[in-house]
Order: sequence, then structure tokens, then C-alpha cells
Amino acid sequence: MSSVASGAIDHHHDSTTSTGIPNKKLLMWAFLASDCMFFGCLISTHLIYRLHPPAGTPAATQVFSIELTSFSTFILLMSSLMMALAVNAIQKGNLKSMRASLILTIICGLIFLGCQVYEFNEFVYVKHLTISNSILGTTFFTLTGTHGIHVLLGVIWLTSMLIYSYTGRLTEKDAIDVESMGLYWHFVDIVWIVIFTVVYLLEYI
Amino acid sequence: MDRNLHGRIPTRIHLILYKTMSHSAVANHDHGNEHSKFEIFVQLAMLLAVITGVEIITVYLPFSHTTLVTVLMVLSAVKFLFVIFIFMHLRWDKAFCTILFFIGMVLAGFTMWALLQVFSVSNSIPLSSL
Amino acid sequence: MADAITKSGFTAHDEKITARSSLFYRPQAKTGLMSWLTTVDHKRIGFLYGVFALFFFLVGGVEALLIRIQLAVPNNNFLSAQQYNEMFTMHATTMIFLAIMPLSAAFFNFIMPLQIGARDVAFPRLNAFSLWVFVAGAIILNIGWFMHDGAPNGGWFGYTPLTTRTFSPNHAIDMWVMGLQLLGVASIAASLNFITTIINMRAPGLTMMRLPVFTWMTLITAFLIVLSFPAITIALIELMMDRSFSTNFFEVSNGGMPILWTHLFWVFGHPEVYILILPAMGIISEILPTFSRKPLFGYPIVVFSGACIGFLGFGVWSHHMFTTGMGTVATAAFAMTTMAIAVPTGVKIFNWVGTIWGGHISMRTPMMFALGFIWLFMIGGLSGVMHSAAPADAQQHNSYFVVAHFHYVLIGGSLFALLAGIHYWFPLMFGRKVSEFWGKLSFWVIFIGFNTTFFPMHFLGLNGMPRRTFTYDPNMGWSNSNFIATIGAFILGVGVTIYFVVMVYTYFKGEKVKNDPWDGRTLEWSLPNPVPEYNYAVIPVVHARDAFWYQKQHKAEIEAEKAKAAKEEELHGGIHMPFQSLYPFIASLGLLIGGIGVSTMDSNPDPKVIVGKKLTVCFIGLAIFLYGVYCWALEGNEGYHIHLDNHGDDHKH
Repeated sequence: MSSVASGAIDHHHDSTTSTGIPNKKLLMWAFLASDCMFFGCLISTHLIYRLHPPAGTPAATQVFSIELTSFSTFILLMSSLMMALAVNAIQKGNLKSMRASLILTIICGLIFLGCQVYEFNEFVYVKHLTISNSILGTTFFTLTGTHGIHVLLGVIWLTSMLIYSYTGRLTEKDAIDVESMGLYWHFVDIVWIVIFTVVYLLEYI
Repeated sequence: MDRNLHGRIPTRIHLILYKTMSHSAVANHDHGNEHSKFEIFVQLAMLLAVITGVEIITVYLPFSHTTLVTVLMVLSAVKFLFVIFIFMHLRWDKAFCTILFFIGMVLAGFTMWALLQVFSVSNSIPLSSL
Repeated sequence: MADAITKSGFTAHDEKITARSSLFYRPQAKTGLMSWLTTVDHKRIGFLYGVFALFFFLVGGVEALLIRIQLAVPNNNFLSAQQYNEMFTMHATTMIFLAIMPLSAAFFNFIMPLQIGARDVAFPRLNAFSLWVFVAGAIILNIGWFMHDGAPNGGWFGYTPLTTRTFSPNHAIDMWVMGLQLLGVASIAASLNFITTIINMRAPGLTMMRLPVFTWMTLITAFLIVLSFPAITIALIELMMDRSFSTNFFEVSNGGMPILWTHLFWVFGHPEVYILILPAMGIISEILPTFSRKPLFGYPIVVFSGACIGFLGFGVWSHHMFTTGMGTVATAAFAMTTMAIAVPTGVKIFNWVGTIWGGHISMRTPMMFALGFIWLFMIGGLSGVMHSAAPADAQQHNSYFVVAHFHYVLIGGSLFALLAGIHYWFPLMFGRKVSEFWGKLSFWVIFIGFNTTFFPMHFLGLNGMPRRTFTYDPNMGWSNSNFIATIGAFILGVGVTIYFVVMVYTYFKGEKVKNDPWDGRTLEWSLPNPVPEYNYAVIPVVHARDAFWYQKQHKAEIEAEKAKAAKEEELHGGIHMPFQSLYPFIASLGLLIGGIGVSTMDSNPDPKVIVGKKLTVCFIGLAIFLYGVYCWALEGNEGYHIHLDNHGDDHKH
């Protein structure tokens, strides 16, 4: 509540809390622990159904395009880099640099989503794998679709934060909000790291 | 984790780890000069890209199923841990944040393992797959 | 009623606050409907949770009585089979999600911040959001009673394939799914808030091992909620996808496995029962020391056992599935983990007995409910550990033996503790004490009614009576016990009625008491009643466990500390209070409308209509939700300050 001398904000220690961890950071980490269980159960469903696929299930390797998915994986990794740079920038009070990094994060996020949409279209119309015509389609589209929705919500959040940063109300003291958003975005990335391996790569072994 | 990695990883990772460790020594008051934070992030991103490339190549290698699965799991775990400790800043934050997240992560991992075990036994094979 | 509430205490004077100028108007009403819809005060939110919980408790109770009437005599036709299915589904769903959990939440909200010396929770508007989303979920769950499709009827555990579209074609199950999803959102949001509050907002000197046990149990329960609810969220998403988008999660003809639902449900369901009992154990751990005038025996062990129960609770879920043919290894593994979890539970019981032993026992009403808890919960635990032996469970599963077990732990356990808590903390919340005679009378009638209803069910179960069947033949030998159980249920109903009437009477006209009527041990009793809006005039410094007890023994030291802290607080600008806000309510309203659209409306079958009525309603709900969320984010988390003068009167600016 008391004002802080300019340039002296410690972004990693909040003296008003019992642990020194800012409340919003603690909240976000607790939420991400919960989201781990959420994706854990969804990924479990997919893996369980890949244990003994019924006869007539399409072969995943015939449907997947490893080139496209690798590309979108690289893009998401790059978006994580951009996000970390954005948080770093606002913690130094560098609004311009934060905005540039945010824009790049959003662009990477949109490219990822574009790749997902393209991939889904390919699978449905060219490879004839739909969400309802096989168990592989059901688990695949639900899992990657849920992840995609998480990415979309992240992009909306990032865009809202970007627009807000142009109103003049976002300053260094609000770095915690950008950092919390960053934690969410990185989490979406690490979930994709798991999905890329267990949903895509494992099929090729 | 660090001890496990140090043994067999090339120089670039040593550089990142060295930089992160020397900065954690200064702990919560000085988060290094901006150049090396920036460098750490960029180098990590390049490393993650390289590991991803290695993963993609791995699936085409002629090793046994078990070996390949293990390699993939380890590489993914390495990427996962690098992102949470460096991009998500856990390396430099209070230990409680790490504990909090690991509770969720470990529980999710255990639940996944238990579910897969239950569904892997012969009793659980659906009749339509026999 | 509204006047009585506003006079009861946790509302401030209706003064105009000269707020700093901000983009958004911040509601300032301190009385009337708007003050309740915009409140962010944890005490008011706790009160509202309590009111809704007690209302739904009565609803669930009526549903139970209807079940018991139907089962009183063999071949009864008081309820049709279809109606009976709705009754047992809604009785369970209501009691678990709309009665016990929110009643626990009422105590988490009201008492926990006071016990840690805080002025509110970490995120007051998120707290309000949790409350209103809970109300939205409660509405959607019950709206089926008023609709043609009827109330949810697939059991509280919603097993597939019964709940798939093939076997439950109408919207009853859709409402069940949507209602539970909203309740999940509410619970998770509230729990994240409580975790942050307990970890981060403790008074100076309040280390984790000095926390009151109720606060510890709040923390562990919050962890259980945030880690277990995702499992049911996923299960419900998969069921909804199957019902609405023809996916194959549980569609056998296309490779699905209905048993997956059962697993995912119980991955949530088992921690859920610990969510139901741990807060109760916390309340008992506060009441026993106070009325034995002794500190809790073995505090670190009690806390550690609570944490063990929470942790182990994630490893036992398939004990609900011993008869599903998982194979020897899985069955044995889960049997062993289930037996293991009985250990920390038993340890706690020994510690409670150790607390009473040698104490100066004061047999007030809260103590009687607490002693009833120990005895009845133990009986429930014994029948529970009997279930843990998988071969024995093969006979007990799906029989009335299970019904007896869980009612002993849920009524004898959770409910008794919550009823004890209401009596115990009533003076703190409302400044009045319930009459001993009427309180004890309600205890005895409830105790007798409860045991008459559920003890015979142990024998009914072992004699083969199955659960969830709407009637039975007269030659099964079950008729007498069922009749006795129904009599017991009505006695229980009378007892609950007495309890409620007494509670309401006391609220309006009960004996007024000064603060700390029980000579309490924990910080919340150090507050005046009614509790001021800002809770603590001066944040206390904690020196020991049972912080208030220490304060009472070291009055001079505490006075000096208070004076010093009061000066520092004034230097910092006074007591900071958050502004009220309507946006959590608006966001919840959006979720309610969207939820009703998703779960109750039919899609338009005409392919030419792209956006029909259903989608329109859903979009309106979404728009209102987004509007609420954006305004919430943009209005900022400013507040106003209260300055106390020497007489403790407050002035706001």
C-alpha cells in the first residue's frame, strides 16, 4: 500500500506476504498444479485408448504429419522465449520492449493455432479422421482441441494485456500481472511438450 | 537434477547452468544484469529447439521400443524441467513455488501411471480388441 | 429478515466514502440487497454460503424422507421407479455438493481469516465469484424438478453407459453435468483463494505449526479440491462430448470403455469424501480442547495425520470398484492402500480421546455433538475398514451395508461436527448463544433418530438388500428393518426441525452474550462481537499455538504490542479495505445463463439455421460472463481506508 521508491521495486519479493511470494504468483502456481491434474487425466484417457486399439482404427502414422507438427512445436517454443523476454522487459520498466515481445508471442501463438486448424481440417476432410468416427479421433481431437482452447484463451489474454499497455495504465509495478500471464503461457507450452511426445512421437516407434 | 545433467551434456548447457547458478547466489536482490538474463533465455530457446530436433530424429533410429521410449521420456522431461525452472523462474523463486507445482505434477504423474497400469493388465483388454 | 441481518453485526455504518476517482463506479451500499450482491467481505460471504447450505440441506432431507416413505413397506407405490431414481440421485448430489461442502465453506470463509489474524482472504472478489457460481450450479442442478425432463436420475456418480445419450436421452443428465461443472469451478476458485490466504496472509509470528487445526484442515481440504476436481471435470467433459458431439469415450460399439468413467469419477470421488470429513475433523479439533480446557493432544501428529489422509486419499479410489474385475494385482494394491489410510484416521481418534482425558469437561451442546462425532465416526470407520478387505467387499458392495457406512461417517461424522460448529461459533457470528436445553434436546433427538435409521441398515446390507432399488418383496425378510429405519428417519427429521427452529429463534431473540463465552483458545475469540467489518483493529502478533490463550495469560505484553502496532498501522495510512464489486455476480450470471442454454435447450435440427435459440442463449451468457470478467479486471483492486480513533470508532476515507 505504501508507495515504493522508483526503480527499487523488487519483483521477486513481496514484503507484505508471509512467505515473500506475491499473492498472484502463488495463486497461479497453485492453479497450474491443478491444471497438471486436468491435463494428466485427459492425456491418460488418450494413452489408455492407445493401449488396445480396436480393429479398424486408422493407423496414426498414416494420419499425422510429423513435419507440420514439428514446425508448430518449434513455434510454440519460440513463443515461450518471447513471453519470458516480455516479462523480463516489464520488470525493468521497459514498456516498448515488452510490447514488442508480446506482439511476437501473440504472432507465434496465432501461427500455432493456425497450424492446428489446418491440421484438423486435413485430418477431417483428407484423412477422414473425425471426432466421432473412431476412438482415436475422439481422444486426439478432444486432447489437442482442449490444449488449443487453452492456447486461444492465452492469446486473448495476451492481446488484452497488449491493448491495455497502450492506455498508459500499465507500468513496472504491474509486472506481476504480466508475470502471472507468462506462467500460464509457459504452462501451455510444457503441456504441448508432453503432448507432442506421447501423442505424436510415440506413434512412430 | 543438475548433478544428473552435468555429466553428459555439452558446453552450452554448462554455460546456462553456470550463469543461472552464479545468479542464484546473488539470490533475490540482484537479478543479474539484463544482458545475461536475455542471453540465458535465448540460449535456452535454442537448446530446446535442438532437443526437439533430436527427439524427432530419435523416432527413426533402429533401437528397441523400450530404449526409444525411455530416450523420448528423458528428453521431454529435460525440456519440461528447463522451461519450468528457467522460463518460469522457479530456479530463482522461493522454494515453496516449486513444491506447490511439484505436488500437482507428481500426483498427475502417479495417477497417469496407476491408470495405465490398471488398463494394461489382461483383465482390462476390451473384448472388441481381442 | 434483512433488517435483522444488517443489525446482526458484520456490516459497517452506512457512511459515504470519499473514494479516489476511478474509471468504474464502486458500489458502496452497506445495507440492503445490493450490499449482499456486491459484498466482498468474507464474513458475509460465509454467511451466505451457510444460508444456502442449510436451505439445500432441508431440500435433501425432504428427498430422503420421500425415499424412506417409499421403502417403509414392501411393494410400495408411493414413488414410481423413475421418481425414486430422481430422489436418490438428487438426495446424494444435494447433500454432498449443496449442503455439506458449502456448509464447510461457510466456516472456511467466516472463521479461517479470523484464525490467522487476517482482515479478509487474498482475493475478495474471487471469493464472491465462487459464492455466486456455486448458486448458479445449485440452480442448474435443481432446475430439472420444474421441467418436463425431470431432475437428474443417473445416481450421484453418473455411471456410464446409463448416463450416455442412448440410455438417458433427455436433458436431465445434461443438467447434472453442467451443474457439477459450475460447482467445480466455484470450489476450485475458492480453494485457490484459501491456499493463498493461509500460506501468505498469516499474522506475524504465526508459523505453520502454530496454526489452529481448523485452519490446517482448511488448507489440506483446499489442496484436495484443487487436485481432485480436475479428474471429474475431465470425466464430465468426456461425458458431455459423448452426449452432445457423438464422441466415443464411453461408446462401446466404437471402441469406448464405460469403465473409464468409473475410474475417473472415483479418482475425484474418493478425495471428495475426505474433502467432506477433514473440515469436520478440524472443527472437532477446536471444540474438544475448548470444552476440556486442555490443549489438543499431539498437535503435530494430528496435523500430520490430516496431511497423510489427504495424500493417501489419492491412492485408494478403486476400492469403489473391487467388483469390476480389475484383476488380482490391482485389487490387492488398492485393498492395501485402503487399509493403510485407516491408520492416520485412527491416530486422530486416539488424539481426540487423549485431549479429553484428564480434562475439565464442560458438557455444553457443542461438546455433545463433538463427542457424538467421535463415537459415530468411529463406527463408520469400522464398517469402512470392513469394506477394505476386497473379498468381504464382494458381498457388501452395492448393498445397504455401504449405505450404513457412509451415513455413519457423513451424518455421524461431517454433519454432527458442522452442527457442533454452528452452536460453537454462533456467539461469535451473531452475538447470541443457543439455549442449552433446546440445543441438547435437538442433539438427543437427532442422535436417536440417526442411529434408529442407519444401524439396522448394516444388517439389511449383510442380509442382501441392494442399493438404489425402489421397492422389495415382502418375503425377503427386510420389511421390519426398513420400517424401523423409516421411523428413525422421521425422528431424525423432527430432531433437525428442532435444531433449525432453535437456530432461527436464537438468531432473532436468543440470549445475548459478551465476547468469548466459552473461554476459547484461538484468535477469533479475541474479537468483539459483532465482529467489525475490518476484523482486527490491530493485527495481532502470535507467540504460541492457541494464540488467544497465550494472550490471556500475558495481558500486559499483548497490550504494549497492540499499542505499538496500532501506531505503525496509522503511519501506513490506516486499515485498508477492498471496495465492493458487482462484477463477480455479473460474471456468475453469465455462467448461469450460458449453462442453462447448454444443458436445458435442444439444438435446432434445421441445418439451414446456423444460430438457433440454444446457441443464442449460450452466446448471451458468454457475453455477459466476458463483460463481467473484463470489468472486474479493469476496475482495479483499489480500496479505501479506515482510521480508528481512541474509542475504536471508525472514520473512512
